[in-house]
Amino acid sequence: MRHEELHPSDSELLMCIDGELSEREAARTEAHLAACWNCRARKQEIEASIAEFVHFRKREMAPALPPAAGPRALLKAKLSILASQGEASSSWLAVTWLPGKASLGKAAALVCLLFGIVMVMREGVGKKAPAVFVPDARLTPGATVLAGRQEVCSTSEPKNRMVPVSLRKQVLEEYGVGNAEPRAYEVDYLITPALGGADDIRNLWPQSYAADGWNARVKDALEDRLHEMVCDGQLDLTTAQREISTDWIAAYKKYFHTDRPLETAQP
Amino acid sequence: MPDSPSPSNVFSALPAVATERVCQPSVAELEVIELFDRFRDRLSRYVLTFGLSVQDCEEVIQETFLALFQHLKRGKSRRNLRGWLFRVAHNLALKTRLRSRRDGQASADEQLPLGGIMDLSPNPEHQLESAQTRRRLLAAFQALPEQDQRCLSLRAEGLRYREIAGVLDISLGSVSVSLARSLTRLTRVSER
Repeated sequence: MRHEELHPSDSELLMCIDGELSEREAARTEAHLAACWNCRARKQEIEASIAEFVHFRKREMAPALPPAAGPRALLKAKLSILASQGEASSSWLAVTWLPGKASLGKAAALVCLLFGIVMVMREGVGKKAPAVFVPDARLTPGATVLAGRQEVCSTSEPKNRMVPVSLRKQVLEEYGVGNAEPRAYEVDYLITPALGGADDIRNLWPQSYAADGWNARVKDALEDRLHEMVCDGQLDLTTAQREISTDWIAAYKKYFHTDRPLETAQP
Repeated sequence: MPDSPSPSNVFSALPAVATERVCQPSVAELEVIELFDRFRDRLSRYVLTFGLSVQDCEEVIQETFLALFQHLKRGKSRRNLRGWLFRVAHNLALKTRLRSRRDGQASADEQLPLGGIMDLSPNPEHQLESAQTRRRLLAAFQALPEQDQRCLSLRAEGLRYREIAGVLDISLGSVSVSLARSLTRLTRVSER
């Protein structure tokens, strides 16, 4: 019983609250707390202090955090670049987080270099406005609404529904062309709403206007043809959705029996 | 099942022109993204206490997860990835701060690591709360030694004492003493 007479220190009380004491120490402290009003009051003060700090932190820090969507998309893009580069870049990247004073200067230089590369990469992407003729299946797998043939064929969906500006921006960023000349791309539905396509970032991709040959007009022609065929009962809706989202150029070739875009579809 | 609706499809892949990659994201990529979703906010809050600008903070977080990707890809230890993430972010934040100070663009007063991000003007939701108490708490927090601030922040983000000791490279005993000391100081301030 002698131990119970010894009042635990503040840090022991905190460790007790945090579950950081060994089983034996915890049992001893609990026994003391049961017996000692003073220490119980101290424990409560510590808990109140924790609650206050947590509350304070949440209130003060939350507004400082920008939304995660942008950084998340950027990380995804960088990861896919890193993954495609393979092992080449891995050895020096690892150095940047190694602790130790000797490598600090070197590591800092490497961090700068890395930031430099990333900045150049981003600017490069921005200036070149790379041509996009087919969507990236990972970013744009296609998404549909819960609609069957009846709904799709009975409603007269406007052919070119507007994509909301915020969504448009997200799509361009996702494709790493957020800095590019905005008029270089049309943000287009992969599966057109007329075929049950959804207003969903997974169903939107930036299509180059510059593209000659397989451009947006050609895809529009395919969309009209597929809609017609679905509503005439020549093709089922699921197949149409799958074909246009998997490889729209192949679908065009198949349904127009041609290897090149037809003249009528050209500007 | 003709005409049956498919709520969100995962059709087979086609070669991606944008990044010139044919394959789907690797397991490691997906895992990194999943960990990003889980830890990004917590890591950002911690990194912000170093007095970095929001932009520098975002870059530190990006670098942290790119390093994690390399770490996983090279088959390194997966034990306690949470502690690993905080340790790497901690080191990168220190280096970034060092660099920005050298370049003479320190974003916040050195004495007041949180000064740069904390907005003391009462916002509508909290107008009723005592601005004075908030000011006092903030001042008390900023008056703590840097190491005590870090301990408190890491604990608030859910790290156990052993993980905190690992991130800050201090002993277990120092962690509990530091936390208890800080909490006592904060209590005294708010009761004044």
